[in-house]
Amino acid sequence: MRHLTGALTTRRRQGLRATTLPALLLIALLPIVTGAQRGGEPPPPPPPARTIAPIDLTGYWVSVVTEDWRYRMLTPPKGDYASVPLNAAARRMADAWDPAKDETSGDACRSYGVGNIMRVPGRVHITWQDDDTLKVETDAGTQTRLLHFGDAAQAPAGDAGWQGYSVARWELAGPQRRGGAGPRANAPGPDAAAGQRQAGPEAPDGRGRGTSTARGGSLKVVTTHMKAGYLRKNGVPYSENAVITEYLDRHTEPNGDQWFTVTTIVDDPKYLAEPFITSSHFKKEANSDKWRPSPCTAS
Amino acid sequence: MHRLGRMAIAGLTLAAAVSAILPARAQPPMNAAGYDLTGEWAPRFHEDQPERIPGPEIGDYLGLPINEAARLHADSWDASILTLPEHQCKPHPSDYAPRGPANLRIWKEIDAPSQQLIAYHTHISWQAPERTIWMDGRPHPPDYAAHTWQGFSTGRWEGDMLTMTTTHLKMGWIRRNGIPRSDKAIVTEHLVRHGDYLTWIVIIDDPVYLTEPFIRTTDFVFDPHQQIAPYPCQIVDEIDRPQGVVPHHLPGQNTFVLEFPARYGVPAEAARGGAETMYPEYQLKLKTMPPARSAGR
Amino acid sequence: MKLDPIAVSKATGFICATGAAFFLVASAGAPAQTSRSNAEAAKDARDAKEEKKDTNTDVHVLPVQGNVYMLVGGVGGNITVQAGDEGVLLVDTSVEALSDNVLKAIRSISTKPIRYIINTHVHADHVGGNAPIAKQGAMIEGGNMGQPYRGAAILAHENVLHRMSAPTGQQAPFPTEAWPTDTYFTKKKELFFNGEAILILHQPSAHTDGDSIVFFRRSDVLSAGDLFVTTTYPVIDLERGGTIQGVIAALNNILDIAIPKDKQEGGTYVIPGHGRLSDEADVLEYRDMLTIIRDRIQDLVKKGSTLDQVKAARPTLDYDGRYGATAGSWTTAKFIEAVYRNLAVKQSKSR
Repeated sequence: MRHLTGALTTRRRQGLRATTLPALLLIALLPIVTGAQRGGEPPPPPPPARTIAPIDLTGYWVSVVTEDWRYRMLTPPKGDYASVPLNAAARRMADAWDPAKDETSGDACRSYGVGNIMRVPGRVHITWQDDDTLKVETDAGTQTRLLHFGDAAQAPAGDAGWQGYSVARWELAGPQRRGGAGPRANAPGPDAAAGQRQAGPEAPDGRGRGTSTARGGSLKVVTTHMKAGYLRKNGVPYSENAVITEYLDRHTEPNGDQWFTVTTIVDDPKYLAEPFITSSHFKKEANSDKWRPSPCTAS
Repeated sequence: MHRLGRMAIAGLTLAAAVSAILPARAQPPMNAAGYDLTGEWAPRFHEDQPERIPGPEIGDYLGLPINEAARLHADSWDASILTLPEHQCKPHPSDYAPRGPANLRIWKEIDAPSQQLIAYHTHISWQAPERTIWMDGRPHPPDYAAHTWQGFSTGRWEGDMLTMTTTHLKMGWIRRNGIPRSDKAIVTEHLVRHGDYLTWIVIIDDPVYLTEPFIRTTDFVFDPHQQIAPYPCQIVDEIDRPQGVVPHHLPGQNTFVLEFPARYGVPAEAARGGAETMYPEYQLKLKTMPPARSAGR
Repeated sequence: MKLDPIAVSKATGFICATGAAFFLVASAGAPAQTSRSNAEAAKDARDAKEEKKDTNTDVHVLPVQGNVYMLVGGVGGNITVQAGDEGVLLVDTSVEALSDNVLKAIRSISTKPIRYIINTHVHADHVGGNAPIAKQGAMIEGGNMGQPYRGAAILAHENVLHRMSAPTGQQAPFPTEAWPTDTYFTKKKELFFNGEAILILHQPSAHTDGDSIVFFRRSDVLSAGDLFVTTTYPVIDLERGGTIQGVIAALNNILDIAIPKDKQEGGTYVIPGHGRLSDEADVLEYRDMLTIIRDRIQDLVKKGSTLDQVKAARPTLDYDGRYGATAGSWTTAKFIEAVYRNLAVKQSKSR
């Protein structure tokens, strides 16, 4: 009996060793294995911007002009540059404003450029041109902006027209992913797994864990490579070297009205004493019934 | 026992493998934490500077969704009313305060044992109003409770945006030229921070003086060097007048309201405001309007 | 024939409980129906919603400051409660129908006896609870403080007693148990109770001819009666000696007494006859409004405008959305009419 028990015990020890040792080895080596996987193969392609959008900006939106009214709904007189932190060079340029000359030289759209377009009273129509390009069309001045989620290296060599070249990225609510500010704004970098670890628990509405929609967020757009334009219709200039940063935030009000507010920061040391900051608000409309394309006018 | 031992080890192994991949859950919910708004914030007057600092023109009602009651109130308003002793030290109510001279400080109140957020507080430079935005889910007071300049505010996070609802405001103003905001208004606000930029979105819903909600957005820049000065206010005798006299214009007798449109080339009808003046299609109507004439012509 | 006082009391209480303004300007005839503005329509909708709430008999307690509390309930006026070691003092007693709940509310504050009731004026929504509530009280007797019956003392300006009582043989509007037990006819009456001075100040020819405001000096709280409300235009009881000038003068007196703590807020709190707890800034808005409306109507009266012409000019338009009404016991039209009649009489007298 004792002999049988001893044999059983030996076999049990052997069995346990056979099971335990590999298991312990696996546990010890797991981080190394996964790390080797991370470093050894190229990262997976980032999900399309459209699929991870934390906010929905598509649709028709109307600008609601409650601020700077006489600078936006009307053409202000030459010399009236109130509120703009322009420097002496800008003032000289603005004082030389000649709208007739702008019309004849084909520059009637100067005040509809990216530096001012979101301040122009009108409607915008936002759609996905493709999964990584958001298209913003305006009826005032019939302008089109393309917001590229992706590689900033694809910006053109020269200017990209009145609307410049815009690089967009989603800013998800909550702690930002480490390494997420790489060439593709939404691509997982080397710490993608770490970023995923920070994806977080449930959103307040309980709609699943860590989804971008549930977390909320904003759209950040940085635009460069633009043609020089006007910050105001009366010739207050911004240069081709300006960097324009915008943040678009969605909010829905208790009465059901849906809005987005765009905070625009124009950084242009050539003409501005400091970054020029404005915030413009757009209310969602049900359809295109009031869409009214109109050409640029210089005055 | 033998089989149980293997199963236990297999289970532990599986658990270890899974835990290496899945997120840790030590932190409190991030949406509840929001995005820290605390600090010193300097205002930027890159929009409406003439209205916000020197002050709005008499008769400038552009871009305001006001009704005829608000229009009459503003037409009757005489700036001299501010010389009355009881008017001198009024601060801006919380919905207007960001628009004025508004060096801003925001700080948090945290419950020490639980580290839960109880409230955000704000201090604004002009007249030094301080405001509490309760984040702990407490209800608003009953209708018969006192109203204050800053009102009673509760807040919640929507992603990284702080959304606030304010009731119990005293009678105030939408523009400092007599355009009123009643004490029945409910104000919804959103504070959103992007790095060193803070955008403050204010939407006023006033059933007494507005025909639709009124939105206004104001921008601030993080300024860690900002030092807000105190702002005491003492009532003085500015004008010797009999007690009980309230400066105002009788209906139809305020000729000053005609000066603003004439000075700035704004059609007089547009200067009267109204919801339609907020929308782009109003530009078509503007083109058909005669230019303003100055008073007396 | 001797009437059953209990039956009279019940019948009178029922009539009085429908509101004070029922008695006003009956001889003027029905006012002309003016066109209803969107603002008034919107306000009426909000008020209808509020009135549904007002028909309940709940009484709410709101601590104000120091020893003072405000009781709010239903269709009756607000009640001020001052409570301390010496007992309880009330300013007004609301309507009779709320008395049980008022007493419960008082007992949630203090179990001490109710010693004093001060009435700000004669209207039923402020004195309706006098009888049942005073009965539950107990004035301290002795010395020269004798009482015709056991219960709380009821203090008011003597015109309140005149209006509540009647000469012998005539029908009194209110039962004797509700009448003031102590009156004053000079500018003021003083008390010291629960550790603070209490000033009772007569406001002549205002809401009525018997108005008092009550100022609790240490608690820094003032009970305004219907001289200041946050719900409607002020009721001007012309039949009982009310005048618009008197109301404005009373509001100016309140502004003289009230001192805000900081930046026009807090400090002296003002308990209105109806509506929310207030302070000097709230009284100021109300005073400004009435002064402006008075000035507008006065200007029209000087120009010889008729009442219909004054109403057509809409002198209250910018305040109708907040204080006006096209239905109920006190409408915008009635208010304008009362002010007009007041000023027109004054104008004709001055000629």
